[in-house]
Amino acid sequence: MASLSTPARRAAAGSRRAGSRWSAAMDRRRSPGGAGWLFATPFLVFFTLFLLVPIGIGLWMSFTDASLTGHGDGVFVGLDNYTEAFGDSQVWQTLGNTVWFTVLTTVPLVIVALVMALLVYTGMPGQWLWRLAFFASHLLPVAVVYQIWSMLFQPDRGMLNSVLQTFGMDGIAWLTDEKYAMWSIGLVTLWWTVGFNFLLYLAALQAIPDHLYEAAALDGAGAWRRLWSVTLPQLRRTTALIAVLQVMASLKVFDQIYLLTKGGPNGATRPILEYIYDTGFTNYRLGYASAVSYVFFGIIIILSLAQLKIFSRRED
Amino acid sequence: MSGLSRRGLLRGAVYGAGAAVSASALSGCGSIAGSVASADEIQYWTLFTGPDGELMKTMTRNVERRVPDLKVRTTVLDWGPPYYTKLAMASAGGRSPDVAIMHLTRLAGYAPGGLLDPWDTDLLAEFGLKQDDLNKTLVKRSLYEGTPYAIPLDTHPFVVFFDRDVMDKAGLLTGDGQLVPFESPKHTMELMDKLRKDTRKLGPVFGHANDAAMGWRMFWTLFSQTGATFDLTGERAEIDEDTAVEVVRFMTDLARDSRTMDVQTAIAAFANGRSPMIFSGEWDMATYKTALGDRLGGAPIPTFYDRPAGASDSHALVLPHQDNPDPEHRRRTHQFVAELVKSGLTWASAGHIPAYTPAVSSAGYAKLRPQSEYAGAAKQLVLDPPVWFAGSGSDFQTRMCQALDPALGGSSSPASAVRTMVSQINTLMAQPNPA
Repeated sequence: MASLSTPARRAAAGSRRAGSRWSAAMDRRRSPGGAGWLFATPFLVFFTLFLLVPIGIGLWMSFTDASLTGHGDGVFVGLDNYTEAFGDSQVWQTLGNTVWFTVLTTVPLVIVALVMALLVYTGMPGQWLWRLAFFASHLLPVAVVYQIWSMLFQPDRGMLNSVLQTFGMDGIAWLTDEKYAMWSIGLVTLWWTVGFNFLLYLAALQAIPDHLYEAAALDGAGAWRRLWSVTLPQLRRTTALIAVLQVMASLKVFDQIYLLTKGGPNGATRPILEYIYDTGFTNYRLGYASAVSYVFFGIIIILSLAQLKIFSRRED
Repeated sequence: MSGLSRRGLLRGAVYGAGAAVSASALSGCGSIAGSVASADEIQYWTLFTGPDGELMKTMTRNVERRVPDLKVRTTVLDWGPPYYTKLAMASAGGRSPDVAIMHLTRLAGYAPGGLLDPWDTDLLAEFGLKQDDLNKTLVKRSLYEGTPYAIPLDTHPFVVFFDRDVMDKAGLLTGDGQLVPFESPKHTMELMDKLRKDTRKLGPVFGHANDAAMGWRMFWTLFSQTGATFDLTGERAEIDEDTAVEVVRFMTDLARDSRTMDVQTAIAAFANGRSPMIFSGEWDMATYKTALGDRLGGAPIPTFYDRPAGASDSHALVLPHQDNPDPEHRRRTHQFVAELVKSGLTWASAGHIPAYTPAVSSAGYAKLRPQSEYAGAAKQLVLDPPVWFAGSGSDFQTRMCQALDPALGGSSSPASAVRTMVSQINTLMAQPNPA
């Protein structure tokens, strides 16, 4: 540590100050000193062991016919798995389901969260209670969410259908009809995860400086005008962040679908991650499953880059 | 969803360090009592929970009591596709449990890949279990290239349960309390209409929605009754599709009152008296018995077509592959399994039909009702086609059920269900056997 503050170094750092702030920051990062590395070591060890190494092994496996049962390990098959993946209708169907789920959930998860945050921020009494109520469901583990909703969705004795029936409507086969299953899953997901986005929005709302509203009010702006011209523009960064996080989270969907419908009816809700899981762990084809997951990985990377580009352009 | 918490990690590290210290301390004084005992114990993996699990625990304890120095350590794993994932991984690693429960229909995916070790039938006979005393169909299916790789414990068929009183009033029982014969699908539907009209209840119910096995069980039962072609041995599937469409159409008729019912809903509908008849696995017998008491009747699936058949599977005992098995340990494992299979009568109380035929023909079994009423199902059992991708808990069954469900629910036609099934089967057949 002492070496960091030698006069020579200070002098060097001082001379660099003339340069851009960016390069100085880079230099500091380049020489964190022994202690820094020491502190980072536990993380780096786990990061390497449980992320970098598996990613590497997975990539290698995607070029082999590796099997969970240990047979065929290391037999290099070139691009066979990738060729099969691109021609596999299940890959495209499940990928389509995942994308459909992402669209279906991202839009309401942004809008509903925003509306909830605005309502709570602009005047509902008992703010803490609403904050708690809207966020509470986010704290539930997926197994509990599944238990609650599988009871609500019960076609014959579930609450949702009894409510429909009291209004004289026919019950809906929420999870067993191809037309409704994905919507039902989307509803569960909205209820379960909207709290997190809500909290991000609420924090962002609280960070908007009051003087902006004061100035707007002095200029004669009404409540709606302030919402459109002050609040929403100030939330743009948060919206971009939430949208990016939400698309990532929705593309990763697996648990609630696996528990509620196992991908049914007739594969209508089967996400690509479940297909990868089934291929690798139920059908034991690890090599092929790795290839499909790398295809999916590639798609996610492209999507994220595109999103980043769109949002960064808007920032300008 | 729970991530690894920092506190959990610290605790794990402390325990780990503690274990390391105490292990070295023990080896220092030269008596590692714990590990000697565990090397001697038979490691046994099962998938039984609930009443089955309790019963298996009792049977295991009884065997330990009867046989001196025999100790068994049971590991109960959750039933479902992940069970076979774990078993395959353990076997592939060569450090597997000594003995495990496996569905007999999964053997075709396991034995050829060297994941299992064969049984020594002479040794089993020495401990009093002769192959001749086991259900013939099951024994035949437990062979791979003539060598036995599984010892069947039971068979657990898809059967029918009914409410005696209601069925009797509707004239659907014979004088001795059996179901009247159903001569054809058409005749069956007439009887079911009469049942609905006379009793003002639902017709038969069948829980299938979003289930990964029930739809296939019903289809395989009915299709096998027709005797039509269903050949998966070649390059592509050879399936009599016209008959299959016919069968799916009959299924949708049978499930008319349970179009969107899942298994739990159908069980509830039968148990609370809304329907007097249910197509079900016998493993839910205990629930029905609690609800209906002595009114509960059971029977093998009636013969609607040309020949008797009922989809079934069998809990069998297998020796997961071990790299260097200790002969003495293997011997004791054989002894344990022989004793376990001979306890078939105890096992039967949960509903399964023992594979050990002396148990089925015993006087004690005849007193078990409704078990003894549907025991005939063991004579008409059909198992999944013997291909690597089929069997209980397989992706194949899930795919078949997902193809059938829309037809049963009424949102697609039987013909389109069969088209999906055939194309899914061909997809699976085109894949290499990974074992």
